[in-house]
Amino acid sequence: MNTVLRAFGLTKSFRGKVAVDGIDLEVRAQERVALLGPNGAGKTTTLLMLLGVVTPDAGSIQLVGHQLPHGRSRALLNVGFAAGYLPLAERLRVREFLHIYGQLYGLTDPRPFVEEGLERFGIPHLARRMGTELSSGQRTLVGIVKATLHRPRLLVLDEPTASLDPDVAQRVRRGLLDMSEHQGTALLITSHDMIEVERLCERVVFISHGRVVADGSPAQVKEFYGRGDLEDVFLHLAGHAEPTPPITLAQETDRPL
Amino acid sequence: MNTSVETLRPYTRAIEISQSWLRIRAIARRHAYVLKRSPHRLFDVTLWPLVDVLLFGSLGVFVSREGGAGLTAFGYLLSGIILWHVVYQSQIALSTGLLEETWSRNLLNLMVTPLTEIEYVLGVVLFGMVKVVIGVGIVAVTALGFYAFNISDLGWDLVPIVGVLLVVGWAISLFVIGVVLRFGSGAEALAWGIMFVVMPLSGVFYPTNALPAVLRPIAIALPTTHAFAAGRALLDHRGLEWGQLIIAISSAAGLLVVAVGFVVAMLRLFRRRGYVTRYS
Repeated sequence: MNTVLRAFGLTKSFRGKVAVDGIDLEVRAQERVALLGPNGAGKTTTLLMLLGVVTPDAGSIQLVGHQLPHGRSRALLNVGFAAGYLPLAERLRVREFLHIYGQLYGLTDPRPFVEEGLERFGIPHLARRMGTELSSGQRTLVGIVKATLHRPRLLVLDEPTASLDPDVAQRVRRGLLDMSEHQGTALLITSHDMIEVERLCERVVFISHGRVVADGSPAQVKEFYGRGDLEDVFLHLAGHAEPTPPITLAQETDRPL
Repeated sequence: MNTSVETLRPYTRAIEISQSWLRIRAIARRHAYVLKRSPHRLFDVTLWPLVDVLLFGSLGVFVSREGGAGLTAFGYLLSGIILWHVVYQSQIALSTGLLEETWSRNLLNLMVTPLTEIEYVLGVVLFGMVKVVIGVGIVAVTALGFYAFNISDLGWDLVPIVGVLLVVGWAISLFVIGVVLRFGSGAEALAWGIMFVVMPLSGVFYPTNALPAVLRPIAIALPTTHAFAAGRALLDHRGLEWGQLIIAISSAAGLLVVAVGFVVAMLRLFRRRGYVTRYS
């Protein structure tokens, strides 16, 4: 199976404090993976390193066939990123914002992709609104449309549904599943919503204190820790003061929808 | 197999160049929207140039009425302020381009696209040239309309001088961008403040021998000093002073190389220390 992301031995410290401590991560084409862990576990730092935004202290990253940091620009032609905390650029209407980002992602004429993206996530009515007029949830949706305009092979989402109503979050999940199934997009998501993770992802990677502590399907992880749901596993792992030894529970995961 | 890869290479390169140009245009377009939707940003390219030309033009008229050297000062003041706006507008356009991304917390959005740092700078410079044309155009037209001073009378010899001043403006803004990347938005006052330091040291309105002796070595090291001296030579009908121009071109090129080196080093530090989180 094609691998869209392969990272080995990622390490990062800030002012002597270890944020990420030797993370290995592989994501295959069309795979939907959740990167989970408590606040401060190192999730966002890991994502920013995988995207070439932050330089790791050690380790190597291969992103859609390109080695970082040298191949960053070429790799990002096939990668999308959205985060619940990212604002839209000011002084732009939604359609203008998406058009500009479509061009940055290499689309000569982004218009049909912009219209398709707005339809997919149910927000064509926002096209003429200014970015500053949107609610945080609407901004998140526009950010997700931006990240998916160029039909990326890998979509990285940091807390994508954190500010969304349950019905809108469901629409987002449907849109993401649709992309995964019909365009073969692999997903790498961080979230604190374990129900969402179970609905969307076929593999979960728990990190704690900057290290991977469990890696497998949601069912395998729950079974291994003897917990009824992922939230209990999360609470169990978050409660550990020290990282537990890493456990890889599966190489090939099932694909529940 | 190797042959086909070799055959395809020029086409792959052509696609990459075309995509690069697309991204440069996208950045230029983004900043065009910013200017269109932010009337206060028009102050830099309309109001301040107008105020400057009124101030220095009227001062020139006043001293010229005294006769003697005052007549020379009139030309020095007006040509000086027009050429100064080439440096000022090119510097401000590029510096505020990056600052705009920090103000709207858009840096992370840009950094996760295929956009390279060079493409970003070229995109801002591309739209910045529009601002330079507007800003300098307003100064030149106002000088002509209010004071009958026509800068184009200096002829085509002005072109290389303007070129040097543009490059110096971009080099200064790369230093400003490097400092902002390193120290954050708190350093943004430098974008405007640094010009008030460079202006008197460059002999914009007077030969640098008018400066206090202790400052003259600094003035001589600045490319702008030699560009403005070459401009005054044109005004005095002494023709293009190649010696001054060559020093101006070579020192501007040197300054640009140092500025690029500085901003690249600051960008590496920015990525290594994860400073992007300041703006997201």
